[in-house]
Amino acid sequence: MFSADFLTMLVYGSLIWCTLSAIALGVMLLRDLLRGESW
Amino acid sequence: MTQDNALLAPSTGYLLLALFSILWIGLGLYWGRRNKSFEDHALAGRNVGLALGSATAAATWITSNTTMLAPQFALQLGVWGMLAYSTAAFGLILFAPMAKRIRKLMPHGYTSGDFFRLRYGRTAWAIFLVFTLFYSLTWLVSMAMAGGILLEALAGIDYVWGMTVILAVCVIYTMRGGLAAVIGTDFIQSLIIIVGIVAVGFAVLQNVSVDEIHANLSTSKPALLDVLFPAAIMAIFNNLLFGLGEVFHNNVWWSRVFAFREGVGNKAFLIGGLVWFPIPIAAGFIALASGALGVGVPSPDMVGPLVIANVLGEVGAVAIFVIVFCSLASSIDSLLAATSDLVTEDIYRRLLHPAATPEKLKKVAQTVTLLLGLGTWAVCVPRVGTLASVLFFAGPLVGAMIWPIVTGLYWRSANSVGAIGGMLLGGGAGLIAYFQIGWFVASTVGTAVSMVWVLACAIFSRSFFDWKMLKEAV
Repeated sequence: MFSADFLTMLVYGSLIWCTLSAIALGVMLLRDLLRGESW
Repeated sequence: MTQDNALLAPSTGYLLLALFSILWIGLGLYWGRRNKSFEDHALAGRNVGLALGSATAAATWITSNTTMLAPQFALQLGVWGMLAYSTAAFGLILFAPMAKRIRKLMPHGYTSGDFFRLRYGRTAWAIFLVFTLFYSLTWLVSMAMAGGILLEALAGIDYVWGMTVILAVCVIYTMRGGLAAVIGTDFIQSLIIIVGIVAVGFAVLQNVSVDEIHANLSTSKPALLDVLFPAAIMAIFNNLLFGLGEVFHNNVWWSRVFAFREGVGNKAFLIGGLVWFPIPIAAGFIALASGALGVGVPSPDMVGPLVIANVLGEVGAVAIFVIVFCSLASSIDSLLAATSDLVTEDIYRRLLHPAATPEKLKKVAQTVTLLLGLGTWAVCVPRVGTLASVLFFAGPLVGAMIWPIVTGLYWRSANSVGAIGGMLLGGGAGLIAYFQIGWFVASTVGTAVSMVWVLACAIFSRSFFDWKMLKEAV
């Protein structure tokens, strides 16, 4: 049976991962815009 | 769920629908101004950068299924259900190296159909077109139907009105803005979806802890925490292979490979897959909380919105409405653009009018987008519930295309006999497995049979393909 610790890691891990993804996408777009490489 | 027990007032739903419709259409018209030729319209000038490329890969893969079906998977298949859904990310991650190879082999390519035509000849190309158009059109119909059904369930908006508005908005901005509008709106939509899911997830955790969810499941539904849940483990393989087949073959993804600036494709698909991977878990765990929160779930496919609205009230209902609307738009626009490009390039240009000018091709692509929208609308209006489930038939068909594509890109000995046989035998065997055994093995059987045939034909082949034949001049 999956433990409570594993479920906690899974849930919080996925939410933190999503948060970092959103920040990373924003930073990447800013970098591309500053370099004139967005499209 | 009817208008009487919708989660939002219809007036709020119509207001949100109007605001987002104006935003997407406005952006589509603005970004469409720079499109002069078919190449601009279909491939955004072949110069899309890493940030927009990564976001569009993730956003297109976030369908309404990701935000609505992932909670249902969690409710029915438990922890493995969420993880099984997440394995679809491997479709994008494993496509990353292929994107680099495709761009190198086909610097002037437009569609995945171009690859089949040049690599395996017209018979394989025709079979591919039948399989991929069946898949794309059923996906489009299922998304449009899901749009109408979800907007009705969430805000009491009449099914036909909701479906019509979401389809019309996507058709208008895709027609006018082409792939540039699709990719631009995808970036905004991906951020809205991810931020929305994170906000809703943390808000739910303010009301119930993971320990409480685990304790409730341990006593009431221990199977959902079972490490050896057979149906869920089989679903992992099926979902993984369905995901691989969907991404590897479909022009939604190939058109992006050709649209991305050189050197961007492999990184963008890898990042897109990594961005997508945690989303089914972040959206799905909310369903596992339903028992601990005491939320009754009369319909499993609405478990996510029911829990969120119950815990967060109207703010939560608005959040789920926006997340679902963005998920639907990010997939419908991509399907419209990629399918219209496929019809324009593979059927109109290559079969009917080889001498058509770039300006003429752009107009044809816009007309095809409109016709696709009208056709989808006509099929969706009667609301035949079984139509959406037709998409599952496509599982073995797309699984059967994995090996012809992978070997065709990397092995000179892969040949048309292998590709044709692999698609027909794999697709046929997979469909038999679908009806005789169940959906959860159909893609696995289709892929396995196709693999055996394709590999055998390649191993015993005496002909070797010249890669230069893929570098077709425009």
